[in-house]
Amino acid sequence: MRPADAVDFALASLRQRRLRTFLTASGVMIGIGALVSMISFGKGLQKNVTRAFEASDLFTTVTVLPGGAEKPGGDPDGKPRAKAPGRADALLDDAAVAALARLPGVAMAYPDVSFPALVGLGDRREFRLVQVVPAAAVNSSALRIRWGRAYGSDDENGVVVNRTVLRQLGETEPAAAVGRTIRITTVSIDLARLATLNLASIFSGASSPVSQETAEFPIVGVTEVMAFGGEGGLAESAVMIPPGPAGRIKRLPFSSVWDLFRIRDGRIGYSAATVRLASLRDLDRVRSKVQDLGFGTFALADQLEEVTRAFRFMDMALAAVGMIAIVVAALGIVNTMIMSILERYREIGVMKAVGASDGDIKRIFFFESGAIGLAGGAAGCVLGWATSLLINRLIDLYLSRQGMPHVAYFSFPAWIFLGAVAFAVLVSLASGIYPARRAARVDPVVALRHD
Amino acid sequence: MTDAPLVRVRALARTYVIGGVPVAALAGVDLDVAAGSFTAVTGASGSGKSTLLNLLGGLDTPSAGTIEVDGALVSGLDREALARYRRSVVGMIFQSFNLVPSRTALENVELPLVFAGVDKKERKRRAAEFLDRVGLGGRTGHRPAELSGGEQQRVAVARALINGPRILLADEPTGNLDSRTAREIVGLLDGLNRERRLTVVMVSHEESLVREFARRIVRLRDGRIVDGGDAA
Ligand SMILES: Nc1ncnc2c1ncn2[C@@H]1O[C@H](COP(=O)(O)OP(=O)(O)OP(=O)(O)O)[C@@H](O)[C@H]1O
Ligand SMILES: [Mg+2]
Repeated sequence: MRPADAVDFALASLRQRRLRTFLTASGVMIGIGALVSMISFGKGLQKNVTRAFEASDLFTTVTVLPGGAEKPGGDPDGKPRAKAPGRADALLDDAAVAALARLPGVAMAYPDVSFPALVGLGDRREFRLVQVVPAAAVNSSALRIRWGRAYGSDDENGVVVNRTVLRQLGETEPAAAVGRTIRITTVSIDLARLATLNLASIFSGASSPVSQETAEFPIVGVTEVMAFGGEGGLAESAVMIPPGPAGRIKRLPFSSVWDLFRIRDGRIGYSAATVRLASLRDLDRVRSKVQDLGFGTFALADQLEEVTRAFRFMDMALAAVGMIAIVVAALGIVNTMIMSILERYREIGVMKAVGASDGDIKRIFFFESGAIGLAGGAAGCVLGWATSLLINRLIDLYLSRQGMPHVAYFSFPAWIFLGAVAFAVLVSLASGIYPARRAARVDPVVALRHD
Repeated sequence: MTDAPLVRVRALARTYVIGGVPVAALAGVDLDVAAGSFTAVTGASGSGKSTLLNLLGGLDTPSAGTIEVDGALVSGLDREALARYRRSVVGMIFQSFNLVPSRTALENVELPLVFAGVDKKERKRRAAEFLDRVGLGGRTGHRPAELSGGEQQRVAVARALINGPRILLADEPTGNLDSRTAREIVGLLDGLNRERRLTVVMVSHEESLVREFARRIVRLRDGRIVDGGDAA
């Protein structure tokens, strides 16, 4: 028997039982559709996160930690992040930051300074950490300022805010926010007065050493928040202020009580500093230099492998969900093919009586299940693609109301489709093995004996 | 006998095991069938006629004994070789016609050529020619359900002959037909036997037909030949 004839026979038999063929292929379609959308979602997520990482400064940033600290902020409950903690006596002060900036391969270095403040716009107020960021960092390409501009110098009287905090402050139109005035209220303690007072009078407020001070700044720029938060560090900052005006704001000289444990010879130093690399290639060199200075380092680039592993695991989990549907579809094929054998028992006997070999019969049934797989697989690709687009639409619709930009959550490289169809055919052929064998083993004498 | 027989059956036995109990459908049959002969096989129901025909047709394999066709041993062929044997050496027709209901008359006749790997165009041409020969030239596109019993059996005859077999095996080909049509069908086989020297082995209950057309009658009882056989 020629292969083309076997295909003809298989298709003729499928055509003859249209509804059942359609239903069985639908099972494959749904399974493959689920698999395709699951995998494309995994790939899309990976692509989005990777792209966000690459577009941001995260990979070219090394966080430098003073001695004893394992994590920026010094929170001992947090998971240690520094690969190599620094020497206990290493103090991260202005001189040290200047030394970091001079290291070869370092584009810029600045201390991580932030302070808690009550941020107000109009009649709304929110508690936020205000980040002190030099103009050079705000102007770098890693930070996308969608509306307005970055402040031009470290002494300019202006702040950059992100869109999220604006919305929380009741301003939904970022363009309109540029030029408006933001109020930053801080708390400070007059230590001289503290010594002379007892606690009771402090908290009765009669003569409090605790005072509040409010400074006003025009908003000069608004940053966009990326959907996957990939810009990390700076873009996540609610309010960025240049060092000049920040220095004039009266506030506590620390943002966390943990900072106090770092006091060396009466000096606290910074809880962390940010070193921006000229290029990712400089990472190892700069890091070892920084460690030579006695500081601990933390670079997200080190986590890349972990991230990749996490994605691989997620891919597997998503594929496993899709696989359940595939297994169900495969059982459907086996069922359909066995039904087909029972219905065509006599026909198989006839074919054998007129000279069909076991192999001929096997091939006909094999092609039959393969064709179901091919049709179901191709349709499944279309289904998976279409539902993904639909889901993407719905998410977009929902998120655009929250002010998030459009994101393609699904990624469809060609190999997903080719792989899905090939996989569908493979699964179907595998499902056809047992029925095909059974068909080939039909005893023609028994099949032809009775009506 | 001067000529070597076309079919040579020796000590042929076929035992079925039903519920652990062996039942001998054939219990030692010796039979020679000469080339170009018309042999009828008769016997009571259950005497083993169909079993003998299925063994000759290569649909079944014997429990013991040998079948030689044209000097070649058929018993003991593997499944693949047996399929080739069915495809090229024998043609079979049955009481219930055994046409594929979803296929047209032409497609049914074409079927053996499909498994023989013949090219489609050639297949169609030959199938149409054979349908014409059995008097159904105008019914090529009809499905079995649209044909009378006699017409269906003619289609089956065309299908059995299309591969040019040496032997035609007919298992009660007239069992489902009225006596007039039955006579027509056996007459058709008779014509093929006479004009083309086609060897025919036909199982039939109908004594009148058997006596009119068969040149030799073999009688079976309980899986043995009781009349008209060839002693070993
Ligand atoms: N596949 C089978 N399995 C079990 N027993 C069988 C099988 N085929 C035939 N037999 C038994 O073998 C014996 C001979 O059967 P066979 O069909 O050859 O008889 P027959 O002479 O053709 O009868 P009929 O005239 O009714 O067609 C019977 O007893 C039958 O029950
Ligand atoms: Mg019988």
